[in-house]
Amino acid sequence: MLTVAQLLEPLARHRTDEVVVTTMSVVRPWGRLSNSDLDFASADSAMGHAADLALGVALARPERKVICLNGDGSMLMSLGTLATAVESGASNYLLVVSDNGEYEITGHQPVAARGRIDYAALAEATGFRQVHRFDDPRSWAEAVPGLLRSLGPTFVHAVVAPGNQGPIGRGPREDARYLKYSLADWSAKMRSALGSRL
Amino acid sequence: MTRPHATVRMLVNAGITHVVGIPDNTSGPLFPEVRKHPTIRLVPVTREGEAFALAAGLWLGGASPLVVVQNTGLLESGDAIRGTAMRMGVGLPVVVTGRGYAKMSAAGMGPDANKTRELLTRADVDSAALLTEPTLEAWGIPFSVCRGEDDPTEAIKATITDARSCGVPVVLVMARSFE
Repeated sequence: MLTVAQLLEPLARHRTDEVVVTTMSVVRPWGRLSNSDLDFASADSAMGHAADLALGVALARPERKVICLNGDGSMLMSLGTLATAVESGASNYLLVVSDNGEYEITGHQPVAARGRIDYAALAEATGFRQVHRFDDPRSWAEAVPGLLRSLGPTFVHAVVAPGNQGPIGRGPREDARYLKYSLADWSAKMRSALGSRL
Repeated sequence: MTRPHATVRMLVNAGITHVVGIPDNTSGPLFPEVRKHPTIRLVPVTREGEAFALAAGLWLGGASPLVVVQNTGLLESGDAIRGTAMRMGVGLPVVVTGRGYAKMSAAGMGPDANKTRELLTRADVDSAALLTEPTLEAWGIPFSVCRGEDDPTEAIKATITDARSCGVPVVLVMARSFE
């Protein structure tokens, strides 16, 4: 089993110009490792929709790798997005499910069928081009550089220990830079960083 | 030229890059026209809420999407619209096809009818139509309705313009056939 830090640190170390979409329990930990304008926190947002939002960015920007750091509870809310991602053929899409078995930020309630769902098998059955499962930090850290170069859609099931994150807000009290802005203001900033002219 | 063909041409001219959604009997003819077009891209989804989040992501990446869903799917999509397109300030045009509008009209009523148990459970009335416009009003989403005499292509064009100028999701309820 990985800790959240062991999941995120190799990604932060190797990440260059990839878009990173976070949600739920990884939002703050990622914000402590990165202050890029290409980070997007799906927080103070819609339940379970980080993976589909990230897929939209990937389809708009096929030249750029888009990484979604999703949760298991969030993934269960939008399992259909696995099919949508495969149908779209987004080869630049890397979907990571951080499986801690619980709704951590709302108070550690267990997700349905906790510990019994094989997310990698779901992704494989749906037709993801590459599917991986990691439950030890070393093999994950070694795989990250290759995953960032992989031709997707790529799916990663990471078995992660629960942390201690509470409800996420936005504004000056949050430490992570991307949480200091409203969702609308950060969206405008990120669009600008991506060079949008529309 | 068929209406779907003319509509896709209008969408391209209006700068729409992606059509995201799920077809029904009304919007069905539009989807294959989009799919075969060389520049505009069709993104089929599995649930309507997904369409709004994915479209918000497309916009974030600099694209200009149009969402096409049925009103039943709109009702399912509340949190996705609120938490993505509305919260992010996306000027997102949305076409909502109106299941049950013909039945509602035939029954001599409109969306302002009193939503009693008797009405909501009647076999000859589709509650999806009864609840569409009140729901949009409750959510604070600007909308217009395309009825029998209106030109769907022009109505969609106006919705695109309105959404871009408002910076919020704007809905066109398609209460007539598309063809």
